[in-house]
Amino acid sequence: MTKLLEVSALTVGYGEAVALDAISFDVARGEFITFIGPNGAGKTTLLNSLMGVLRQKSGTVSFKGEDLGTLKPETRVARGIVIVPERRELFPQLSVEDHLRLGAFLRRREGRAILDAGLERIYALLPKLKERRRQLAGTLSGGEQQMVAVGRALMAEPQLLMLDEPSTGLAPRITEEIFEAIARLKADGMTAIIVEQNAHLAFSVADRGFVLEVGNVVASGAADELRQDPRVLAAYLGAGDRYRDA
Amino acid sequence: MIDTALFLLVDGLTNGLIYALLALSLVLVFTVTRVVNIAQGEYVMLGALTLADLLQGRMPGTLYLLIGGLALCILLDAGRWRRDWRGALLFATGLIAVAIAAALITRMALSLHFPVIAMMAVALLLVAPLGVLIYRFTVHPIPDASTIVFVIISVGVSMAVQGLGLLIWGASPYPVEPIAAGGLMAGPVFIPYQAIAIMVVALLSMGGLYLFSEHTLIGKALQASAMNRLGAQFCGIPVNLAGGLAFLLAAAFSALSGMLLAPLITANYEMGFMVGLKGFVGAAMGGLADYPLSLAGVMIVGGLESTSAYLASAYRDVLVFSLLIPILLWRNARQRVETR
Repeated sequence: MTKLLEVSALTVGYGEAVALDAISFDVARGEFITFIGPNGAGKTTLLNSLMGVLRQKSGTVSFKGEDLGTLKPETRVARGIVIVPERRELFPQLSVEDHLRLGAFLRRREGRAILDAGLERIYALLPKLKERRRQLAGTLSGGEQQMVAVGRALMAEPQLLMLDEPSTGLAPRITEEIFEAIARLKADGMTAIIVEQNAHLAFSVADRGFVLEVGNVVASGAADELRQDPRVLAAYLGAGDRYRDA
Repeated sequence: MIDTALFLLVDGLTNGLIYALLALSLVLVFTVTRVVNIAQGEYVMLGALTLADLLQGRMPGTLYLLIGGLALCILLDAGRWRRDWRGALLFATGLIAVAIAAALITRMALSLHFPVIAMMAVALLLVAPLGVLIYRFTVHPIPDASTIVFVIISVGVSMAVQGLGLLIWGASPYPVEPIAAGGLMAGPVFIPYQAIAIMVVALLSMGGLYLFSEHTLIGKALQASAMNRLGAQFCGIPVNLAGGLAFLLAAAFSALSGMLLAPLITANYEMGFMVGLKGFVGAAMGGLADYPLSLAGVMIVGGLESTSAYLASAYRDVLVFSLLIPILLWRNARQRVETR
């Protein structure tokens, strides 16, 4: 069986600097994989390049067996790849519900009833959005904005959902709420790539993980194995030098 | 005294609403595509001269511009034939169909002697697509160019379109029939029917734009593209099409403005630039991004123009363009307060 997403020797750079150095991995349907690593390791670069925002220098990315080549982001959305971007990229003067309806922009011919049902599913998953549905996105708290970004992405009915640092800058309680929603998506059979700095959170939902450092994968494996890996423990799970003395 | 003031008020309002359509176009284009469109006024000229031709029973030169533009568009698409000949064929057929439809409609309008309002609609059909073509030729190839590059390009477009106007229509002015001749006495002031028509058409088109952008998904998508281009792409909104749509609507509004204005001043090939700049002064008040403030701006421009035409007609344009200085100072002060 072909994998949903196959990435081979993907190299991305900004000018001369190489941000991702020949990364290869694949994602099967229904699988959650995660990339963890410090700031500047290339995690966001990876997602942006999969989304078509950044052009790759070399290597191939194929989705459902088709080469994505230099397709534009909006075309990739049409193919089923949808991102929840790190900076959320919302529309400050539009309401929460407008965001959700625009998330389903490419499904606009499916009819009102189907789209309304989709909207209700999002509201069931993220009840706070229903309370705030008439509010302008620019006036929401960071956590609520993150939920809007997640809801908007889901309205596109993605086949591959990419989450870029969903916990960044959020209060622990809100983060928990968002990860509960992510866990429910996984239970419903969603396929996802999650990029996180918080490795605990990432491993709580992922099947497999990759550790990315300065553009290279330095460790990879099943999430359960990776969380026992001494290097990962030391660097990303808070069991490192800082605590040894205490 | 009161009579004069009332007359100036009506005159200022009429001018203001004509510029309002232009300011609307400028804001629409700038917010969606980041293009400060100096060439926006040229659609005013194209609209006015196309209407003049249609009303006098001539085949409008705009039709040839449109057909030429569509042909160029098909040529530019030549590279696609090898990769995706079906798509390319569909595209070419579509454009040829548009050209044929435009020619047929124009012929029909000329042979049936449509009334003024219907002729305006035909002129709109001929001019508005030119906006999309210009978008395709100038902005579409370089979507990420800086604002200043787009400004220079639009100056070039303005010159080129004016040159084409001179080539097609020559330098002589053309009279244009008003929608309705005559007027009515409202107390001491005489209000020409054309002034009323301008108010009605301007308000209807602004209302239409408002309803379109607030109550349709495509309208919301256009707003989304204006607020956050990347975010819009992540929703699957084709931002290039959004840019084309913005240019289309803007061309339509500006052409409409020209058709309403022409009966008051006669149409000629260089009328657009001045009107465009006055719309720009008004839109500057809203930072080219805020509709209500831009409308307030053009109303001030309109009012100042008619008062100065009355009091110091030689300095009319000087006074109107000097308005840009207090507007920019005000915006600067406002921005400082906001960032503090």
